[in-house]
Amino acid sequence: MNLIVNGNETNVDGELTVNELLTEQNVKMPEMVSVELNGQILRRSEFESTKLNEGDAVEFLYFMGGGHASERATD
Amino acid sequence: MNISTLAIHGGLTGDGSSGATAVPIVQTVSYAYDTAQEIADVFAGKAPGYIYTRIANPTTTALELRLAELEDGIGCVATSSGMAAIASVVMGLVKTGDEIIAASGMFAGTVSLFKSTLGRFAVKTTFVDSADVKQFTKAISGKTKLIFVEAIGNPRMDVPDIPAVAEIAHRANIPLIVDNTVTTPVLIKPGRFGADIVVHSTSKFINGHGTAIGGAIIDTGNYNWKTGVFEDISKSCEGAGRLAFLAHLRNLIYRDLGGCAAPMNSFLMLQGLETLAGRMAKHCESAEKLAQFLRGHPKVSWVNYPGLEDNEFHSRTAKLFDGRGGGLLTFGLGERDKAFRFIDSVKLAKNLANLGDTRTLVIHPCSTIFHEFSPYEQKQMAVTEDMVRVSVGLEDFEDIRDDFAQAIETSCGD
Repeated sequence: MNLIVNGNETNVDGELTVNELLTEQNVKMPEMVSVELNGQILRRSEFESTKLNEGDAVEFLYFMGGGHASERATD
Repeated sequence: MNISTLAIHGGLTGDGSSGATAVPIVQTVSYAYDTAQEIADVFAGKAPGYIYTRIANPTTTALELRLAELEDGIGCVATSSGMAAIASVVMGLVKTGDEIIAASGMFAGTVSLFKSTLGRFAVKTTFVDSADVKQFTKAISGKTKLIFVEAIGNPRMDVPDIPAVAEIAHRANIPLIVDNTVTTPVLIKPGRFGADIVVHSTSKFINGHGTAIGGAIIDTGNYNWKTGVFEDISKSCEGAGRLAFLAHLRNLIYRDLGGCAAPMNSFLMLQGLETLAGRMAKHCESAEKLAQFLRGHPKVSWVNYPGLEDNEFHSRTAKLFDGRGGGLLTFGLGERDKAFRFIDSVKLAKNLANLGDTRTLVIHPCSTIFHEFSPYEQKQMAVTEDMVRVSVGLEDFEDIRDDFAQAIETSCGD
């Protein structure tokens, strides 16, 4: 399945939930991350139940650091 | 999950490594990194991590995540006090020359911030009677950047029509901020009725025991910062997406003003939150009984409690608060001297400037919380010379009632 993760085209194997993507992408401090799916912030309680679909755009957002607020800054 | 469950299990809970059920108090100023590159990456926002407790702290993070869930919001920033929360939100939105519309009859500290402190920076606030929603529309100008109301005005005890005010704000493309301190998410989640930002003094019902000062800011996710009227915030949407306002606070306003929550206080707020729903039910139940008792008392001139059936806001409490009137009420004995004597005569209730405690609290707002305002201003805020404000506590109702009965007899005796 093709996804856009933090602005990058990413291919993942099989069906994934948001929680599984967090693990798959080795996201640091997953308890701290906010997830935007196709422009909408997901409630934390939805991470486990939300299945991703082909072409979905996922952003992992933090607003805890000193500077910017997105994992996209690692690009 | 429902509200009582969320209040206990929401967000981060306990400590995974030890099995402790309480959130650990991370009492530290700063956080060490192994390499210069790692800390540089965190500073640059290239990696997540804690830097300095003024910006973020793990105990406070646990509180923020739980409050965001309880308010059905997209994120939260916890602050050192309710005033720090309001100051951070408003200073994050307005600039010199901008305007605010606020309900009259709100907490004196908020009125003073808007009128005096922000007035010094040429920010103008128009105070309107929230009972008449047309006044909000009339007060909007091209310079208005936000509308601010309390879900129940303290001490006016008015209940603004939040959905109608939200619609007025959104027609002008500006956010509605609701102070949910007196009501808490147990009575209302203002975001569900259109509010864009919710603020709290967590020192009140959320703490619940009068043991710590704190505040919180929750973005409900309703306002579209990208297309909003705040140029600098819409720019930060590029990196922060829907969290742009909270990032704007965390990375600029909150960071620079320094009103951070103390870790110990965040722990006390989390502890208070666990019993919030049960406590609010009891506060509301006893407040309604006390309001009815006072209304039936021949020596009481008036009682103001939105949970009373003949109160002008009663139908709105049904619509917004599921029929509950909150834990706060005001009443009058006709004269200032009688109010003073009543306060001097209560034995169980404490005479102090707070609300939302386990204890029943009484105060004479006119000579205390509102003392710096002129009689004309006090009148506009519905503060009268004979007013006593009561925060109804968790004692057995019969004991509260008996204390009030004896104090009324003593203060109004012939």
